Amino acid sequence: MPATTAPRLRGSGFGFALPAILLLLAFFVIPVAMLLTRSLTEPEPGLQNYITLLGSTTYAKIFFNTFFVAGVVTAITVLIAFPVAWTLAILPKGWAAVLFAVILLSMWTNLLARTYAWMVLLQQTGLINRMLMGLGLIDQPLQLTNNLVGVTIGMVYIMLPFMILPLLGVIQKIDPAILQAAALCGATKGQALRRVLVPLAAPGIASGALMVFVMSLGYYVTPSLLGGTANMMLAELIAQQVQSLVNWGMGGAAAFLLLVVTLGLYAVQLRFFERGEAG
Amino acid sequence: MKHTLLALAALTGFATAASAQEMVFTSWGGTTQDAQAASWAAPFTAASGVNVVQDGPTDYGKIKAMVEAGAVTWDVVDAEFDWALQAGGQGLLEPLDFTVIDKTRLDPRFVSDFAVGSFYYSFVLGWNPANFPDAKPATLADLFDTAKFPGKRTFYKWSAPGVIEAALLADGVAPEALYPLDLDRAFKKLDTIKADIIWWEGGAQSQQLLASGEAPIGFFWNGRLAALAADGQEVGVSWDQNITAADALVVPKGTKNREAAMKFISEATSARGQADFAAASGYAPINTGSAELMDPAVRATLPDAQTAVQVNADLAYWAAHRDEIGTRWYAWQAQ
Repeated sequence: MPATTAPRLRGSGFGFALPAILLLLAFFVIPVAMLLTRSLTEPEPGLQNYITLLGSTTYAKIFFNTFFVAGVVTAITVLIAFPVAWTLAILPKGWAAVLFAVILLSMWTNLLARTYAWMVLLQQTGLINRMLMGLGLIDQPLQLTNNLVGVTIGMVYIMLPFMILPLLGVIQKIDPAILQAAALCGATKGQALRRVLVPLAAPGIASGALMVFVMSLGYYVTPSLLGGTANMMLAELIAQQVQSLVNWGMGGAAAFLLLVVTLGLYAVQLRFFERGEAG
Repeated sequence: MKHTLLALAALTGFATAASAQEMVFTSWGGTTQDAQAASWAAPFTAASGVNVVQDGPTDYGKIKAMVEAGAVTWDVVDAEFDWALQAGGQGLLEPLDFTVIDKTRLDPRFVSDFAVGSFYYSFVLGWNPANFPDAKPATLADLFDTAKFPGKRTFYKWSAPGVIEAALLADGVAPEALYPLDLDRAFKKLDTIKADIIWWEGGAQSQQLLASGEAPIGFFWNGRLAALAADGQEVGVSWDQNITAADALVVPKGTKNREAAMKFISEATSARGQADFAAASGYAPINTGSAELMDPAVRATLPDAQTAVQVNADLAYWAAHRDEIGTRWYAWQAQ
């Protein structure tokens, strides 16, 4: 009897996944294939949408902006998330649960509401500028929205939980005694961080960073509301092409390029993890 | 007793089924759609028994996708007039039934085979008096003069009639010489203030930018400034060279409620419907019979009281060159 359980379980496992697979097939794979078709057939059959996208300096700049903003957001998110994850790991259980709840709570608030809240905080007559002026730290309001600063602040805030969670998973597995051992061997705090903690947490940093980077590449609401057109990102280009110019061909081409890049990065992540587990 | 209950249940069921006829009206949301619901949908439902479901915001990509997929769920849509002219030519819209819609009293500027005006509006220069206590901005040239009137200025983000015309007028082009649009000259003029532009994507955002002083001066839909003023916010408005454009009511091709859609448009473009909407929104009526139904004091605040200083955007020109101008517009924005 026990010999037959394993195959049967495996079979029913696929059965359980079937609804999800069908859902993805019907509402993701097929529409993406249709979009790809349109990008190759509208307005005329051929590659001209891709040639226009990849050949013009304007679109090249939008591609650059997309990767640049995603890169900046990812780097800052890592720098902020790492100490938070570490704190969560070493806090007593009760306090850790409170801090964890605060982080999750921010994820459960509506994205648009959070972005508008940042607009109100960051604008020239907003709370932050008024406070800084009231304290006499500045005499002219700082330009915090409609530029890279606004996008970065808004997106880092939204991405933080997606970095903290994978980091926490890895850091919790690190035995604090290892750091004591490092100290006993004469490592300074900086050395213990650089040569012991960060290398041990590297898989968490890598998976969190890739997740944040990939999510940032396709973000629309936050860059559109907190950024200016000077750092327009790819998702905004797609919105313009589809909503305003009703050019599904070009919008589809841009969407497809974004998807290819994203899948490429995902492949990198998969490979990294397989190697990590093997070693 | 049991029988009575059953009969009642059957009757109620029947009544629900009879009144359940529905159609969907899609517009841009906010105070404008609220006014459309109150001035058009409510009397239409009262007269016809057809319930009007409000949806939005208008999305041209969605309309095209619906029509091509043969799954049209929007029956009447409020769209920009130049898009409507273009979309009619591309076969995305139902021809309007002018045996149901009485076009004899509609402003001929806003009537075509596939679209009638929803309302017309003006882009006007607006500013926040708190930021300019001394000299007041008065002309479109002032809007582009960052030395005289420093600070961020806000303009409509999407490619549409209005901002390009304003740039040319500010640069000294005569209103009658605007078309065909000299895009090189317009973008050159816009370049001079590019670093100071904050784009607004929707009416509510334009109001927020002006009222907060984030952008103390800009180019706005007149109705949104009227709404701000009605809320008690101090707003400066200059009608000098106000640029008119219009919204259109259209019916996506393949709607299942064609008859109801035509009747809805008939109600919306009636003298009464247009007068009520104009009073509620601050936009101008496209029915020539509306004026006499309106309070003269309210009428005086609308774009059609400003025709002497008005410049009409050429919507047919825009319909013909929409893609070309739009492509260039977005490329310029991203540079």
